[in-house]
Amino acid sequence: MSKLAIAGREFASRLLLGTGKFASPQAMADALAASGAEIVTVALRRVDIDNPQDDTLRHIDRNRFLLLPNTSGARTAEEAVRLSRLARAATGINWVKLEVTPDPYYLLPDPVETLKAAETLVKEGFVVLPYINADPILARRLQDIGTATVMPLGSPIGSNQGLRTRAALEIIIEQSHVPVVVDAGLGLPSHAAEAMEIGADAVLINTAIATAAEPVEMAAAFRLAVEAGRKAYLSGPRAPTDKAEASSPLTGFLRD
Amino acid sequence: MQSLRVNGQVRQFPVQEMPATLSALLEKLGVEAATVVAEVDGRIVGPGEFTRTPLADGQSIELVKFMGGG
Repeated sequence: MSKLAIAGREFASRLLLGTGKFASPQAMADALAASGAEIVTVALRRVDIDNPQDDTLRHIDRNRFLLLPNTSGARTAEEAVRLSRLARAATGINWVKLEVTPDPYYLLPDPVETLKAAETLVKEGFVVLPYINADPILARRLQDIGTATVMPLGSPIGSNQGLRTRAALEIIIEQSHVPVVVDAGLGLPSHAAEAMEIGADAVLINTAIATAAEPVEMAAAFRLAVEAGRKAYLSGPRAPTDKAEASSPLTGFLRD
Repeated sequence: MQSLRVNGQVRQFPVQEMPATLSALLEKLGVEAATVVAEVDGRIVGPGEFTRTPLADGQSIELVKFMGGG
């Protein structure tokens, strides 16, 4: 099966994983292993001076996983650019999942600030993977300025609602020259499979795996779903029809 | 007394106990340097530069690190 190529790097897995909300660092590490993911997102936050030893990064094998720092928490382009620069200084890698989410209730991304931040970051040599609403025009504007992917949402972050934006996602996928990674809101493996079946290049999952009763099993389920959806897409699925079309021959019946 | 603003909180130090460098501050706070990136008055300081980054009274320091996130 063809590999996922982002900014000149190839990945066998089309499942990206977030590392938030896991019950323990060990649960996260086990789920990462079961998922087969090669790209994992992390967030940058102030050190808790009263409890400075908590260290997620220690549990992620940097030889096996590409760290993708996100700019979560940024409410403006300026904050997102600042977080991106800090992340680059911390990791030495210049990949960033750009998110600018000023709205605390639905965590919807701000399209204007996201585009503004992306322009700055691309100029500074970052590989930018922007989290966006499923807006085909914005997706084109971003790919035109040189982002490495677009990452439209299926539904609000952590909501488990699935592909509420399917019609717009289909337009984005049709028009995009960069990989389309469906991010946010995918609550079940069937949601991930659906995204892959309509031609998404990859999906990013966090909450659905991290908060499952058995995160390792759920990670494995998403892995299978992403593979199944991709294979189905490549197999050329037929469009739905209004009426039945017999699967069995309509001749040779045992009647006169 | 001298003071540093660390992650938004002002911390006071008697002059003779004022950390001279960023790495001295991290040691005082019990923060492992390898996992942290810093800003001193808005200027980014990578983990390799902590020992040669002097601190002065009144500076504002941000210490950040990676956490789980989506």
